Amino acid sequence: MRRRTAVTAVAVAATVCILGARLVDIQVVRADELQKASVNAKEVEQTLLGARGSIVDSNGTVLADTIYHYTAALSPSDAIGVGAEGRAAMVKAAGKIGAITGQGGAAIVAIIDNALKEDPKSKYALVKKDMDVGMFDKLDELPYGWLTFDKVPARTYPNGAVGGSLLGYLSSAGVAQAGIESSENACLAGENGVETYQRGADGVAIPGSTVVQKKAKDGGTLQLTIDRDLQWFTEQTLAQQVSAVGAKFGFVTVAEAKTGKIKAIAQWPAADPNNLDATDPSYWSLLPFSTPYEPGSTFKALTASMLIDQGKATPTSQVLAPYRFQSGNGADLHDSGFHDPERLTLTGVLMNSSNTGMSILGRSLSDQTRYDYLRKFGIGEDTGIPYPGQSSGILNPVSDWDDQTKYATMFGQGVSTTQVQMVSAYQALANKGVRIPLTLVDGCKQADGTVTDIPKPKSTQVVSANAADTTLGMMESVVTDGELASKLKIPGYRIAAKTGTAQQPDGKGGYLPSYYVSVMGVAPVDDPEYVISVNLGYPTTLTSSAAAAPLFHTIMSQVLKTFRVKPSTTSPADYPPYY
Amino acid sequence: MSSTVAQKRPAVGWLGRSVPQTIEEERPSHLEVVPTRTQRRARPRAAYAIVAVGVLLGIVVAQLLLSISMSQGAYQLSSLQSKQTQLQRSLQAASEDLNRLTSPQNLAANANALGMVSNSNPAYLRLSDGAILGAALPADGSAGTVTGGQGNLVPNSLLAGVPLVTAPKVGIAPKSGTPARSGTPATTGTPATTDAQAGNSAGTGAADKPAPPASVPLDGALPTPVTH
Repeated sequence: MRRRTAVTAVAVAATVCILGARLVDIQVVRADELQKASVNAKEVEQTLLGARGSIVDSNGTVLADTIYHYTAALSPSDAIGVGAEGRAAMVKAAGKIGAITGQGGAAIVAIIDNALKEDPKSKYALVKKDMDVGMFDKLDELPYGWLTFDKVPARTYPNGAVGGSLLGYLSSAGVAQAGIESSENACLAGENGVETYQRGADGVAIPGSTVVQKKAKDGGTLQLTIDRDLQWFTEQTLAQQVSAVGAKFGFVTVAEAKTGKIKAIAQWPAADPNNLDATDPSYWSLLPFSTPYEPGSTFKALTASMLIDQGKATPTSQVLAPYRFQSGNGADLHDSGFHDPERLTLTGVLMNSSNTGMSILGRSLSDQTRYDYLRKFGIGEDTGIPYPGQSSGILNPVSDWDDQTKYATMFGQGVSTTQVQMVSAYQALANKGVRIPLTLVDGCKQADGTVTDIPKPKSTQVVSANAADTTLGMMESVVTDGELASKLKIPGYRIAAKTGTAQQPDGKGGYLPSYYVSVMGVAPVDDPEYVISVNLGYPTTLTSSAAAAPLFHTIMSQVLKTFRVKPSTTSPADYPPYY
Repeated sequence: MSSTVAQKRPAVGWLGRSVPQTIEEERPSHLEVVPTRTQRRARPRAAYAIVAVGVLLGIVVAQLLLSISMSQGAYQLSSLQSKQTQLQRSLQAASEDLNRLTSPQNLAANANALGMVSNSNPAYLRLSDGAILGAALPADGSAGTVTGGQGNLVPNSLLAGVPLVTAPKVGIAPKSGTPARSGTPATTGTPATTDAQAGNSAGTGAADKPAPPASVPLDGALPTPVTH
């Protein structure tokens, strides 16, 4: 009996060995080859779209968003059908398609006919690009298998020209071209993934065969410091004022004094990224970043703060300011309007914006001292804000200063800055002398919820807190007693402002006859919260800073209202402007 | 095997005693060997075979059922996925509409059409003691509309053809600077004539998109937030 056992055992073992060997052969030795053979048979590769992240403002309102558009194409050789009956059916189908896309049935028939003329076996002809969801849904209901669709990501800017030049735009291929879209592309761009699956004869995925080769990664949401409603208001009122004074363009920047966050940065004309061609290409980028100009008298506040910081002057330091000042070393400058010599204090120099008075007081500082302060104020420096195509302005080294430049730089000529740099300098004055580099971006919220790319600007003490506060007190006189006081006053708030009417170089060594008019200001003076700079380029009907003053007043009122700034509780500094 | 053992050697059965030989010689035809318990245990019973085969059959049937339901699940998955895609498309269409309608240009145009004006006397309510700071006066219209009497100057080409919520009030003359009204009437069945907005102040908003439907009138009172 053991023989039967033995025989059975041997038979079973032999079977096991043969099957085992076959198993090893299939699973191990020929595995790759078989897998490739099977996979090529009916595997389908599908792109998993990684959506581009949206851009939102400080309150989460969407400024730029990714949506999907659809491209319709058809296979002409399949559409044409067979014989006259087939053609009639095709014409009917084309009529239905054309009615939905708006091209008309005849155009669709023409597309099919033209494609077949070039290639009688043509399998592809484009019908319509960039269709929105509504149109696609209607076309999808049609029962024509030869009409196929492709989903293509597109970008929409629901607020139009509000912040348009700031946001930038994408090319038709979806590549960021300008503005924040381009400089923050690393945060925003998504990555497409790939998944493969095996498809049964009826198109359904065979269960268990889906393999995600590469996961799609959605782009992160970029949060800006901008407030959309304030940005709109600024653009609207700027547009009104630019046309009211016949200016060529205008730009306004509003920044928080304590944090350096930019709440609005507007220009007119404004570009609408949904419809760029409606605006001149030179306004597709933000002028406050890209266009330097000679700031003019708004610079005097910086010079005054340097004098106080160095102890060379006080708000009541006296100067007899003539109309014309000649240094004796080559400098020759004068005030804007002829006047007899005025008995001004430093406060009065700021109030009346006297170039001669500033020069006489300012020469107690050495050139190198002023140059160093200016660098610390950020003049001639990179702002550190991620916006492409920025200019750093021009601040020539001291060795290049001739005598005229020496004095001109005290009152903002002979040096060029961008508006953002000027706002950054005033932010230092508004923040007790501590300059915090301005920021536009709050952070980048990734798809998994973590926030990255939070900027950490490094602050520097430029002038002492006392110098900064005293300078603001002197600037208050412009609003309380200056000639534009009635236009600048806001009841209940202490406002400090400085006007500027600057000539711009004509590119040939001289200056253009028309001006950049500006007003820069800080409010409320007892606890400064906001810095605003208003610039109008080359106004024609009103050519002094009176053109910019009403706009400054409107925007500052709106800023104080929007952010619920408490009214001032102390009385103005009231430094005497005259002696 | 066991019967040969019983013949050759004395059987060591459950009694532990030898079986006398005489009994075997007298009744040879009724001789049966009773298997011992150990011997009984050594022979596999029919029940085991039935159970084993039954379980095997059961496994095979279960596997068949599982694979049927998996295939069924694959079809269901496919149909649900296509439903999800459809719903995502509706979501996108609705979101696009919503973002467009909440744009400040649309809100300002509607505010102007309703005759709303800015209030130049902001007043503040201090919640800690209920004090009112500032002069709480109603807007007297001197500050003008939110767009300064000139209509929307900031263009938004996505708003081309979007109808306003209401018709402008009778008696409020349209301001001279308002954007050119596009010639296309509202495509929905709202009884009052609603003006569609131009896409931008230049009036060249070229939209081949059909106008989105007009808004649904509000039912009942406005929702009021609970403030603390």
